[in-house]
Amino acid sequence: MIYTVSDLIKKYGPRTVLDIPYLEVEKEQIYALLGANGAGKTTLLNILGLLEAPTAGRIHYCSRPVNYAESALQSLRKEVVLVDQHPILFTTTVFKNLEFGLKIRKINKKERYRIIDESLDLVGMREFSSAPAQYLSGGETQRVAIARALALSPKVFLCDEPTSSVDVENQNIIITILRRINEAKKISVLFTTHDRSQAARLAHHTIVLNQGRLVPTLYENIFRGVLQTDPSGQPQCVIQDKMHLSIGEDQVIDKRKAVSVFIDPEKIAVRKPSEDPAVANELQGRVVQIIEENGKVRMVVDAGVWVALLISKKRYQKIVFMVGETIVLSIPPEAIHLM
Amino acid sequence: MNLLIDSFISAIRLVVSMDAELDAIVGVSLKVSCTSTVLAGLIGVPLGFTIAFSEFVGKRMTITVLNTLLALPTVVIGLFVYAFISRRGIFGPFDLLYTQRAIIIGQAILIIPVVAAFTIAAISRIDERYRKTAMTLGANRLQTAWIVFREARFGIVAAIVAAFGRVISEIGISMMLGGNIKGFTRTMTTAMALEYDKGSFILAVALGIVLLGLSFGMNLLFHFFQGRVHSQ
Repeated sequence: MIYTVSDLIKKYGPRTVLDIPYLEVEKEQIYALLGANGAGKTTLLNILGLLEAPTAGRIHYCSRPVNYAESALQSLRKEVVLVDQHPILFTTTVFKNLEFGLKIRKINKKERYRIIDESLDLVGMREFSSAPAQYLSGGETQRVAIARALALSPKVFLCDEPTSSVDVENQNIIITILRRINEAKKISVLFTTHDRSQAARLAHHTIVLNQGRLVPTLYENIFRGVLQTDPSGQPQCVIQDKMHLSIGEDQVIDKRKAVSVFIDPEKIAVRKPSEDPAVANELQGRVVQIIEENGKVRMVVDAGVWVALLISKKRYQKIVFMVGETIVLSIPPEAIHLM
Repeated sequence: MNLLIDSFISAIRLVVSMDAELDAIVGVSLKVSCTSTVLAGLIGVPLGFTIAFSEFVGKRMTITVLNTLLALPTVVIGLFVYAFISRRGIFGPFDLLYTQRAIIIGQAILIIPVVAAFTIAAISRIDERYRKTAMTLGANRLQTAWIVFREARFGIVAAIVAAFGRVISEIGISMMLGGNIKGFTRTMTTAMALEYDKGSFILAVALGIVLLGLSFGMNLLFHFFQGRVHSQ
């Protein structure tokens, strides 16, 4: 394991932003860290990047306990590099930006030049070597920041939303780079993203955070909901005033009214509107995305709120849905988890 | 009105002809002001940087005190330093009173808070991501500090330029600690005051022109460096 996290707590003032009882990160794998804004993704990345100390808990890096005292972190930081969501380049040339970390590691001049050329080649930015870094575009800045980190041959490469602020062309370049460095250099990669399909395409493993806690699911279908009873006295969960889902009495765990709701995308059934009459927890929606994912078909349906679901290829080929088509979702109570 | 115009024309002639007395006064002014600015830079920049870069109890109070010292009147500094370097003061045996060194000490005390406060402002403006980036690239505390300092360089130079502008135009310290001795401690401002007292406007106006020119030059430099800060 590259990281083993136990009983991790991070607080900012009275607010707990991370509460992770246990987490393991394997070596030489790509991990996607998913979660909504404020879920704690960046904080976790900063802690794993040894830039922030946890409030409580233990972290083992390569089976060694991490001591977050500043003097002890120095050597570890030379193995772990983090690239920010909006990376900043020093106001000097691209070349000198890459040279900074190498000089710190006392790498000789000839070797430095070779590594810098190689790293800039990797991100397709070699011709910008002597360009002033502060005048690069967002995508170019992101690529140079990645090259600057990779030039240091880290064991772990942490990337905060690497594609969120760049155009599609640069997104594809960055995804290719991440995949290539993991395959060719065996660098462990952890990146945060909002894009579930990107996570599924690129990552070997997915970690989902919701309000600072790990969520035991691969995909997000997590909503804010309100519990109430329908006119017949049956408990139901209302999501954003748009989706009314009946739930079992046994699912109501306490007297809370506001809850987080996870809808398991693999347990959602789907059919064409004309096939059968509507029953409880059936909702009509419009298909907004269809994508192949790990041997299945992932669909995103706008049913007032956007719901993701996974169906088998066989089922998909049998019915054939089109983007823009109206379909019916059937969400059984066992697909609904209150958190 | 004629007096002013005649004095101005004569003053221009004096400046253009590079009058020996005028040159000597400007030379003394530049010498003491440059030396005190360098001295204040050597003390004020590290002081401001350390305050801005470190976290310690009383940091906000320290910054408030420094900002208060920005408004310190030159005559108060003159009086304060005089108490130390006059014959009866603890530094009396060094014979500093009415020397250029006395002016330099007083002026340095005047502008150390200026340099330190402006340095703190320059460092505080630097994006926190520079520090984080340096750390994640493996930099130790000193190397991280260097990166932050480097990014704040234009702001720090602007601080020094502003401090020079302050001392070149001050009069209280130069008069009280220098004594306005001709050819030795007579600066542009003290000479102007003397010429005014004598009713001789030509040299005073000529010195005023030089002083304004220098101030204008300093302001140009200041805005150039401020512009570099904002374009970063």
